[in-house]
Amino acid sequence: MSVSGETRIGRNYVEGLRQKFPAAVIDEAWQTADQVTVTVQLGSLPEVVEWLYYDQGGWLSVLFGNDERPLNGNFAVYYVLSMEGLVKSWVVVRALVDPIAQEFPSVTPRVPAAVWGEREVFDMYGLRPIGIPDERRLVLPDDWPEGLHPLRKDSMGYRDRPAPTTDTETYKFINDSKGSTTDVPLGPLHITSDEPGHFRLFVDGEDIIDADYRMFYVHRGMEKLAETRMGYDEVTFLSDRVCGICGFTHSVAYTTSVENALGIKAPPRAQAIRSVFLEVERLHSHLLNLGLASHFVGFDTGFMQFFRVREKSMTMAELLTGARKTYGVNLIGGVRRDILKDQRTATIKLCGELRTEVAALVDMLLETPNLAQRTAGIGRLDPKVARDYSPVGPLVRASGFKRDIRADHAYAAYPGLPMEVHTADGCDVLSRVLIRAKEFFDSINMIEYALANMPEGPILIEGFDYQPHRFALGFAEAPRGEDIHWSMTGDNQKLYRWRCRAPTYANWPPLRYMLRGNTVSDAPLIVASIDPCYSCTDRVTLVDVRKQKSTTVAYKEFERYGRERKSSPLK
Amino acid sequence: MNAANPNALIIAPGNHVPVPLSESEQIAQLKKTLLKDIQRSAYVYRVDCGGCNGCEIEIFAAITPIFDAERFGIKVVASPRHADILLFTGAVTRAMRMPALRAYQAAPDPKICISYGACGCGGGIFHDLYCVWGGTDKILPVDVYIPGCPPTPPATIYGFALALGLLGQKLKANHHQEGESELAQPRWPDMPLDLRVQLEREARRMAGYLYGRQIADKYMSLLDLKSPQEFNARIREYLKQEDDPRLTEIFTRLNDISAAVLG
Repeated sequence: MSVSGETRIGRNYVEGLRQKFPAAVIDEAWQTADQVTVTVQLGSLPEVVEWLYYDQGGWLSVLFGNDERPLNGNFAVYYVLSMEGLVKSWVVVRALVDPIAQEFPSVTPRVPAAVWGEREVFDMYGLRPIGIPDERRLVLPDDWPEGLHPLRKDSMGYRDRPAPTTDTETYKFINDSKGSTTDVPLGPLHITSDEPGHFRLFVDGEDIIDADYRMFYVHRGMEKLAETRMGYDEVTFLSDRVCGICGFTHSVAYTTSVENALGIKAPPRAQAIRSVFLEVERLHSHLLNLGLASHFVGFDTGFMQFFRVREKSMTMAELLTGARKTYGVNLIGGVRRDILKDQRTATIKLCGELRTEVAALVDMLLETPNLAQRTAGIGRLDPKVARDYSPVGPLVRASGFKRDIRADHAYAAYPGLPMEVHTADGCDVLSRVLIRAKEFFDSINMIEYALANMPEGPILIEGFDYQPHRFALGFAEAPRGEDIHWSMTGDNQKLYRWRCRAPTYANWPPLRYMLRGNTVSDAPLIVASIDPCYSCTDRVTLVDVRKQKSTTVAYKEFERYGRERKSSPLK
Repeated sequence: MNAANPNALIIAPGNHVPVPLSESEQIAQLKKTLLKDIQRSAYVYRVDCGGCNGCEIEIFAAITPIFDAERFGIKVVASPRHADILLFTGAVTRAMRMPALRAYQAAPDPKICISYGACGCGGGIFHDLYCVWGGTDKILPVDVYIPGCPPTPPATIYGFALALGLLGQKLKANHHQEGESELAQPRWPDMPLDLRVQLEREARRMAGYLYGRQIADKYMSLLDLKSPQEFNARIREYLKQEDDPRLTEIFTRLNDISAAVLG
């Protein structure tokens, strides 16, 4: 899309790059008024990303590979930086990777936030990041054959299923502790409302010295699916199913990315409706997390009460969208459902009820002595670590950073809604709980305001042209952080590449530092405090290195110990 | 079942498609006896084989105060060793095949297996992907399917009741044979087709698929091609009664269209 020179936001970053690294910048291309893709020499990739990240106030939102051999003969890697300095814009650093050498200099030693992305690039494309400190497999399962990289255009069909190479887990867990420690594996199956994942805690007595984890038990191959079986307009409904809690946020991020790429402007009423639905999703997600926080500090009455009240937000979702979950109301260029008088009045009534009931519950929770005792100073995310790893959502806001996509890169109808970005300096579990409580009431205000000030006009545009090989970013703030989607259109109305990054992906890597120095009984609480699509685990094996002994503890025993902190299973 | 060597249970996926485990006749008999005379609470263990969390959240909703499945004696437990019912959610991913089989082995016989949600029942939108084996029944024998994306809490409780033999399944089938002189009637036989298409299209553009259709139908039911005055009065009356500015906005647009077409 042509963006005229004057309206470009973020020109200063490109000009700065050209001055600082005159030989590095090969090309710049503007996708929208505030999105630029800068192609740089492969060798200077780490310096360029480091300069934008640390010197210019950038945060690494996502990085990914792309097999562009059919287009220009090379692979490519993209590093998406959300610039949040004085000028707020997006800078995507792109570098071409030689199809024979298949390697690129790793950015991780300079910007630690790149570690998961670069491991994934190797899994999916076989491009080796040279100098990366952690070369383990990330996304693909342990029984996947070596050397088969699913997202390469020529490697395999989307439904080829190679025979399993092993029936046992082979993932190696990293332990950085100096002394002897005890091994505590958690997972992958667990009781609470979560996805599978495997944690390994290294403990000395009760204290967590280090931690490591294996995720991606639910890797299904959605990105490949979006590029093969589905049309670009159907992927909207696939993105609804990325996450069971913040699915609508994903579909907004996806439709925004395609709308940005094709230069489509969704009508104002559609944007307002999207914002309302996004905030409804935040209501029930924050109530879920506040409920879980109560549960993990041993305040089970609060947990049940929060879940009782949460049903009101589910009723609201059903009323507005027709479904309790997985709304399926987004389309490229608009939405499928209007809000008429009946829905408006019923929603405003529910908002009022929720405000009173949740205010009472939050007061009750805060006055429970357990909460402060169990959460203050626990699971500290040091601002330095936060700056290095680019976490998102209430997690980073509780460590003092004012990051919220709704304010930084306003999308949908957020420029016109009354919102405030809440931050705290506690860096601990308590601060995250408090921020979520504040955001809950903000969401109610926004829903009421948006419903009272709905713009007129259609909710869907018709008649836009599909053009292949256009790409752009789309983004939306989910309850637990930002969703970033990058879509590139391709031939036959299919996407050439779709990269979808969920917020928890950015929040896992710093978790290790949050667990260190806490006790075993705090682990479920800390993990739940990042509000992952995962919060605890089913069984715990404790390996005491000092005693050279291994014990397996049932999850329930572990969770009981987390709540009561009596009769340690370690003894 | 070979308890001493759990790996004996695992059937190598022939032709890269797993062969589901089967249960012996003796166990099937035991299960029947159990269902006839359960007379106690049933314990449920959830196994997430690769779901998106939507199903898990709705199961959570089903066991918390509003829906409260525990009043029927259905309780979620923390270990498969305590379970009578195993609830599998999500399409079975490669990485979760072994953990799911291990959970199955850990539960005592006779056990009831429920496949939960669209992905659990048949793999859903992910059924043929490279990292997915398909629905739960691709690796295990399944007794009850609870469909939905995700199933609502009432559907969940209904499914449990089916699994426990508390309810018979309600199935309704109705086949309609077209009679010889039977003709499908258009909804608005007197309406010019062109006008009808334009009205419906505009209403959908303004209010979406469901409400757009309802609003267009309402408009056309009020529309009187013979006497425009009467029609306008009727519309005014209706809009006044509804008192919805958005509906008035949409009706105004529909009025403009019918005025342009009818002249």
